[in-house]
Amino acid sequence: MQGFIDNLIRGWGYDPASWPWTQFVYVAFMGLFSFIVINFAAISGGIFSWAERRIAARMQSRVGPNRVGPAGFLQWIADAVKLLFKEDLIPAEADNVLFRAAPYFMMVGFACVFVALPFSHRLIIADMNIGIFYILAVTALIVVGIIMSGWSSNSKWSLFGAIRSAAQIISYEIPAGMALMIPVLLAGTMSTQGIIRAQGPWPWQWFIFDDPAATAAFFIFFISALAEGNRTPFDLPEAESELVSGYNTEYSGMRFSYFFLVEWGNLWVMSALAVTMFMGGWQVPFLPAERLDALTGWAAFFAEVASVLIFALKTLFFVFVVMWLRWTLPRIRVDQMMNMCWKYLVPASFVSVLFVAGWMLVVRSAPAVGIAMRFLLAGAATVAVVLFVQRVAHNLRDTGDKFDFTSNW
Amino acid sequence: MAETQIPPPQSPGAFGAYVKNVRDTAKSFWEGMSVTLSYMFRKPITSQYPDRMSVPVSETIPARYRGFLEVDMDICTACQACERACPISVINIDIIKGDGKTTPKLRMERFDIDIGKCMYCGLCVEPCPTGAIQHTREFEGAVMHFNNLTLRFVPDVLQPVVAYKPPKGAEAFPRQPLGEITRKLVKAWDAPPPPFPSKEEAAKADHGKPKAAGLDVAAMGRQLAARALQVKEDKPKLQKVLEEAMAGTDCGDCGYPDCFGYSNAIAQGKDTSTEKCAPGGADSKAMLETILVSLKTGIVPGAADPKAEAPPPVPGAAPEPEKPKGPPLSQTLSKDELYKVVLDAMAGTDCGDCEYPDCDGYTRGIVYEGQTDLGRCAPGGEDTRVKLYEIMLGTKPPAK
Repeated sequence: MQGFIDNLIRGWGYDPASWPWTQFVYVAFMGLFSFIVINFAAISGGIFSWAERRIAARMQSRVGPNRVGPAGFLQWIADAVKLLFKEDLIPAEADNVLFRAAPYFMMVGFACVFVALPFSHRLIIADMNIGIFYILAVTALIVVGIIMSGWSSNSKWSLFGAIRSAAQIISYEIPAGMALMIPVLLAGTMSTQGIIRAQGPWPWQWFIFDDPAATAAFFIFFISALAEGNRTPFDLPEAESELVSGYNTEYSGMRFSYFFLVEWGNLWVMSALAVTMFMGGWQVPFLPAERLDALTGWAAFFAEVASVLIFALKTLFFVFVVMWLRWTLPRIRVDQMMNMCWKYLVPASFVSVLFVAGWMLVVRSAPAVGIAMRFLLAGAATVAVVLFVQRVAHNLRDTGDKFDFTSNW
Repeated sequence: MAETQIPPPQSPGAFGAYVKNVRDTAKSFWEGMSVTLSYMFRKPITSQYPDRMSVPVSETIPARYRGFLEVDMDICTACQACERACPISVINIDIIKGDGKTTPKLRMERFDIDIGKCMYCGLCVEPCPTGAIQHTREFEGAVMHFNNLTLRFVPDVLQPVVAYKPPKGAEAFPRQPLGEITRKLVKAWDAPPPPFPSKEEAAKADHGKPKAAGLDVAAMGRQLAARALQVKEDKPKLQKVLEEAMAGTDCGDCGYPDCFGYSNAIAQGKDTSTEKCAPGGADSKAMLETILVSLKTGIVPGAADPKAEAPPPVPGAAPEPEKPKGPPLSQTLSKDELYKVVLDAMAGTDCGDCEYPDCDGYTRGIVYEGQTDLGRCAPGGEDTRVKLYEIMLGTKPPAK
């Protein structure tokens, strides 16, 4: 984005390097972009809340919210307005300052991720050379907010939830970080845009199909991201049946809505990260990144729109998968959660990193092996998808039901 | 002691178990997610109540469901068996009695069922001789105004409904399709509540009317007192007179549900207060006091010209002297003639409260079978009892 602003200043007839107002323009645009990004996060989080309820309802043979607006689409606005107008209660025994501050820590940790998260070929706030490292670092700020809210609430439910959440997030940082090292290894850069450029538009060019260890790393990352986002089956911090609502039990009104905003906004973050690291990001078919760079005028504009759409579609698919998982799996126990992390994901992620490092040496000496492996894995994935679709159709037909997705909205 | 060796279970080895766990996880994800996805593409089972139902819900519930009560006034005999059966006085029936020649013998001025109070026990349905009162399958009772919860089966007090006279020996009675009447009444529930009167309207409504008519409260009180004295013994009529002294708004400020409740309580002697009618204010209080005092003393008080005001003053209240009588009708008439006379004395609703199937049965019991209990006609009440004693024994009935 800095380049974009520099170009703008040049367009006004000044040299950004020597013009005295350059820094002020930077600050003004920083404010503008953060406004846009936070609104994007808030609105997408709201829409996901509606989508999740509709999808959950469908999967449970219900209808879901369908009264406010077409197909109930405006439900999230109604809910948000209601939460905004609700009284902001602070328990008498709570630590006043910490209690008030905690939701903002969560919001900050969540919103900061968007700085390094790409939206398309050109749309990114800052393409940092430590992008992934930065994202991993600021995500950890959410834990601070959670612990803060749990501790300051002075309620045992909140504290239990917060402690569980902290244990969970800190544990799963390790496999998540290790799994993310694999695309970094393969691309040779930590910049999110650089990692996407190292991949291609077609599935066999994605990092997920680079080698079996990279495929495993994708699943490790996805599971860890679920756990870090407190999503089912790792929603122990919010386990309704045990902890009322976990760390946000004592919150109400607008502060409460921040927690949920972060939870649903995180769906986009984790999905976009998975798409960036493993699924080829915004790469447009038949338009390699170099040619995209060279385009100008309307052609560049349409190519940009195409890359936004491709990125958004891939991301939304993973958002759907996360919701789908939530309504499929039951919650796991605390010991199972820890077991899974330390006995399965952590060793597997270490092995994967080592394997990829070795595999890169093999591919360097014999490139054909690498290409064969990519096609093999992409083909296997295609077969798996076909089998899965057949399985779903079989489940549908076996009970004598018909495919009916459109009625009773 | 011989130790029993339990062989250790065959384990696939640590690494095997590890791989098996991973495989099981993948498999259960595969199965579980295919099931949930397949459900996502099915039609939901839930139906959208209330506006997207293909048929009204009340038509889908079983026929014996106990919903709102319904009375078909066309076959109601005015026996009041349901009113007596109701354990919580949900049903209110007002009867006007006639001589049976110039006016119908029984007419119903009011037949109200307070659905808000009804507990759907079904006890009123049991004794109904014609099946006029029934439970429908209607159940949706959201109303715009609380008063709307009372189902009024006689829509207009000024047009009383004539009681049904069941044909002799009839087993079945023609009834309107169950639910139609109540549904019609319930539809009125959607109507908006009565508008709140504006200040000017309220001012007019409060005192404007009596003043415009030039109402002389004292004179009206005396008039009412004179009428009350006439009907001193007839509590329902006395109640009507008393109700005339009230504002008639059914506001409920007196602590009774309506003016009827308050006036009835005074008529029955259960309440001696006169100041509870808030809309009537001082006017009502004065009139009620006049009436009560005159009832106690037996004379209309403070009348400027009592002769002009109250034509038949005292004698109505005086006990009638035993006039010499011949033998009772039961000894002078033939059995068949007696049968007619006795049947005529009964309410004629065939309610069955007398433990005979109908009035005919009870009459036969008295005339031909030597039934000596003459106080069984519940709808006829005291009137019928007095008449029956008069006819059969030639005496006044003993006090209950």
